Amino acid sequence: MEVKEVDVKNRRYRHLWQQFLESNGITGFSAADLEAIDTTSLWLDEEGEVIATGSLAGHVLKYLAIDENHRQAGTTFNIVVSHLTELAAQRGHYHLFVFTKPEYEASFQHVGFQLLAHTPQASLLETGMPTIKDYLNQIKHSSTETGTISAIVMNANPFTKGHRYLVEQASRNSALVYLFVVSNDVSLFKTTERKELVEAGVKDLSNVVVVDGGDYQISPATFPAYFLKSDQEIGDYQAHLDAQLFKQQIAPALGITDRYVGSEPHSKTTENYNQALAEVLPPTVTLHVIPRCQSNNGDVISATRIRQAIKEGRLEDVKCDLPTSTFAFLKANLPILQARLTTHQQKGF
Amino acid sequence: MEERLRRTMMFVPGNNPAMVKDAGIYGADSIMFDLEDSVSLSQKDAARVLVYEALKSQDYGDAELVVRVNGVDTPYFKNDVFAMVKAGIDVVRLPKVESAQMMLDLVKVIEEAEAKFGVTGTKVMAAIESARGVVKALEIAESTDRMIGLALSAEDYTTDMKTHRYPDGAELEFARNMILHAARAAGIAAFDTVFTNMNDVEGFKRETEHIHELGFDGKSLVNPRQIEWVNDVYQPTKKEIENALDVEAAIEEAHRNGSGVISMNGQMVDRPVVLRAQRVLRLAKASNLITEEGEFIEE
Amino acid sequence: MEIKTTAMAGTLESSDIQITISAGQDGINIDLDSSVASLYGDQIKKVITDTLVATGITNANVKAIDKGALDCVVKARALAAAQRALETSDQPAWEVF
Repeated sequence: MEVKEVDVKNRRYRHLWQQFLESNGITGFSAADLEAIDTTSLWLDEEGEVIATGSLAGHVLKYLAIDENHRQAGTTFNIVVSHLTELAAQRGHYHLFVFTKPEYEASFQHVGFQLLAHTPQASLLETGMPTIKDYLNQIKHSSTETGTISAIVMNANPFTKGHRYLVEQASRNSALVYLFVVSNDVSLFKTTERKELVEAGVKDLSNVVVVDGGDYQISPATFPAYFLKSDQEIGDYQAHLDAQLFKQQIAPALGITDRYVGSEPHSKTTENYNQALAEVLPPTVTLHVIPRCQSNNGDVISATRIRQAIKEGRLEDVKCDLPTSTFAFLKANLPILQARLTTHQQKGF
Repeated sequence: MEERLRRTMMFVPGNNPAMVKDAGIYGADSIMFDLEDSVSLSQKDAARVLVYEALKSQDYGDAELVVRVNGVDTPYFKNDVFAMVKAGIDVVRLPKVESAQMMLDLVKVIEEAEAKFGVTGTKVMAAIESARGVVKALEIAESTDRMIGLALSAEDYTTDMKTHRYPDGAELEFARNMILHAARAAGIAAFDTVFTNMNDVEGFKRETEHIHELGFDGKSLVNPRQIEWVNDVYQPTKKEIENALDVEAAIEEAHRNGSGVISMNGQMVDRPVVLRAQRVLRLAKASNLITEEGEFIEE
Repeated sequence: MEIKTTAMAGTLESSDIQITISAGQDGINIDLDSSVASLYGDQIKKVITDTLVATGITNANVKAIDKGALDCVVKARALAAAQRALETSDQPAWEVF
């Protein structure tokens, strides 16, 4: 048995690899999903036949499959996972996730993975460090107040009065609000910028704590389909896993009983996500869907429109939709933001 | 030089704990822990530490313990040698040797390490893996008193020769003979290359018989299953053993009589005959054909 | 000694142990995952702790996934991970060997 590191975007390996995965019941090869792969390992026998494969996309193990004649005793499985964790470590990733089918949960747990969430279709596990426990300990607010603890998760790309309206609703009805800012480096505004604008925009609301969503809230790691144009089916199961993770891990650890989201008339991805939350969270966590607040011209306020205005240099047109802190930031950084939009247009901010 | 059997030198990948741990149970004459080709660049440090700790704590019985370090021109070389000398390795095997100077470079680092850690007597051997190495075999074999043997490594050698392995081994004939002659001239051991196709048992046995016939001390192996097959080939015949026992008896007779001349059936027994008899008896004992006292063991 | 980077050594294969070390605050904390933890867990943790202390590490978070490693393997992997975390793999501390 020999192992090869290959690039599956290379046609020579693509066919061999995809055929092997498909014969093992693995599907979903959208261009975006393939683009996200950093490296793929192929294990071949002496005749050059594929025995096993696994890929790394950032700190996520993907496309793992082992030929059924090599599954006994789990030896090959351990070799594959071990090899991928080593490759990840060499790339500086010591904290890894894997999505898998529920029947393989135990195999991963056997090599040290912890279960984060599962649905009837899929399971999400993590290994290495830091763990979700470390994350939750780090963000837990030592509040002594009693009453409802709520949560909002937002990308805020950038923070608008629409976001502000949603936070106000939660703030008014809660003792404490955890405001999670999604952590990712694929949005127009960097994570630190988005978080700073959120913090500035809710400064006056004393019961709101702004925290980092880390890898556990709509992150590119645990919910890639939110950012990539994946197959609908993949997006759907990832949305359900994200909702389960919130319900099973985050809410109980932080005492969260209520979650607030904005209604979503435009984005199908977000609408599907809200739908998944509605299916998964109640009754453990109450879901509040707040109708989106409207702009002066009658449209709903949306970050998409703000980004369009940045692109076209029409900041004054959207001024009324933005908190003063966000507007000031846009004004000061307009050329930089426009440059980012031009260079990264294909990424579809 | 100390005489010992070196029929089988088993390769053990240095970063594989299961194989490092079990290396002693198969009865190889020599165990060669590998820090070189079987270890990826990112794991060189981990393999070095693993082999070190295993050497310090595991019991490998009577086997001669060898470590193949990374080449003199690699950044791992010095640390490999230091760690292995500190662990008390018997033999350091240097890969890709092409000159006596490379062996002297190795000896210099060994001397430094021995002085630092209070160790003595570390031996060395050279793996010949290129046309230049083959042509310089004698110079390499005679480079240092620490030398115990030369080994042919066919994979790189055949690449260097613009050929590859063939079932009949014609591509290795010159190298095998050159290395063997150099080793014999220098009074050290000669090891044949590995045979990697585990599915071709007949091919392996054929090759082993061939190198036995040429006069090699033994063969490098990649799989413990091969040990028994090599030992079978190296097993002396009943007639050879009986003859050797006769020679041994004649030696004892000469000692008893205080005679400097050994004679058998009225003929004087030469030194090469004595040496061969001693080797046959060592092989016969190792093959469990006779007892330590020279009694035949019945099947 | 100060841990400079998170580091890992060892594999998930049989007879091995995979050890990951990252900077910590209060002593050496080991999260051990082993099928023989009830029998040998304390011994494995002791070998890891002793090895790290010998390299001068006093504060660390350690995750260890054991697949039936002998003490010498535990020690080797802990030492390799420690050297990597301290970025001293190229200059081994021979007194620790």
